[in-house]
Amino acid sequence: MELTAEQQDALVEVINIAFGRAAASLSKLTGQRVQLEVPQVTMCPIEELSRGLRPMIVGDVASVHQIFSGPVVGDALLVIDQRSAAILKELLTSEPALPLEIDASAREVLTEIGNILLNACLGTFGNLLQVQVSFSVPHLTLETLEGVVSSITVGRQGLRYALIVHAGFRLRDSNLTGYLVIVLSVASIERLIRAIEQRERDQR
Amino acid sequence: MKPKVLIVDDSALSRRTLRQILEPAGYAVEEAADGLIALELYSLDRPDVVLLDLVMKGMYGLEVLIKLRELDANARVVVVSADIQTSSHTLVEEAGARAFVNKPFDKADILKAMTSVLQEPPGGTYR
Repeated sequence: MELTAEQQDALVEVINIAFGRAAASLSKLTGQRVQLEVPQVTMCPIEELSRGLRPMIVGDVASVHQIFSGPVVGDALLVIDQRSAAILKELLTSEPALPLEIDASAREVLTEIGNILLNACLGTFGNLLQVQVSFSVPHLTLETLEGVVSSITVGRQGLRYALIVHAGFRLRDSNLTGYLVIVLSVASIERLIRAIEQRERDQR
Repeated sequence: MKPKVLIVDDSALSRRTLRQILEPAGYAVEEAADGLIALELYSLDRPDVVLLDLVMKGMYGLEVLIKLRELDANARVVVVSADIQTSSHTLVEEAGARAFVNKPFDKADILKAMTSVLQEPPGGTYR
């Protein structure tokens, strides 16, 4: 399955708006300017998902995972390395980042940050495309990237391809980098594209 | 007497942040980490306002809202959620919420919502 250039362009535009909203939320939470990288959209078979994500972050990661459902179904993840997770804790709680470990306080902060960012992003999808998206409770895990991907793919027989949408973000004064990742099945990708095309027609 | 507020949120960070905003402003704060505890505390203490998260472990916030309104048709419930969807605002308004404040919240937004909800008569309008 491949997207046409036009479909890819339309998808990136919607994702730009959604990730912009997420960046604004992160900026409000931390009191710092957030620089957002241009979102990249790639499609890959599910078994190559880990390889597709690997260039972004190495080593153990902290990830907040939410399943979303409705007309579009999938998985949304906030993925950050351990150092960045500790810095976020310091920014939100005034507790020192060092030593760089994910303690109870950091878990609490990361889960809520993930919840806010993923909702900001997917909620924008819902608003723009006029569909109701429901969310599961956010779940924080600390493991390798492969472990995170495995938790998404195990038991998903119908999920053969995944749309990986990722955008890095950096807090200007804190040198923190993380990624938002959205994984969608082929059926949901098709529904999403149809909704985007319908939105374009409605705007003419 | 201080107005009583019940914070219902499964995030300890959110509960703590809201408490830090509300207590210095003169509110008496109680907390519930899930919907069942919230319903029990509401029955016992009848707080003046409930600040309610939507996506929580156990009972979903919308279900808690409906049950609170069954317990007390005049319950003043303000939804505080990261969900920014217009359709979600509509859903909670139809279920009887008085206001919706999005996370991440501002101190000013929370206090403004509290003041306006407390000033309204029972069965007041959605903001």
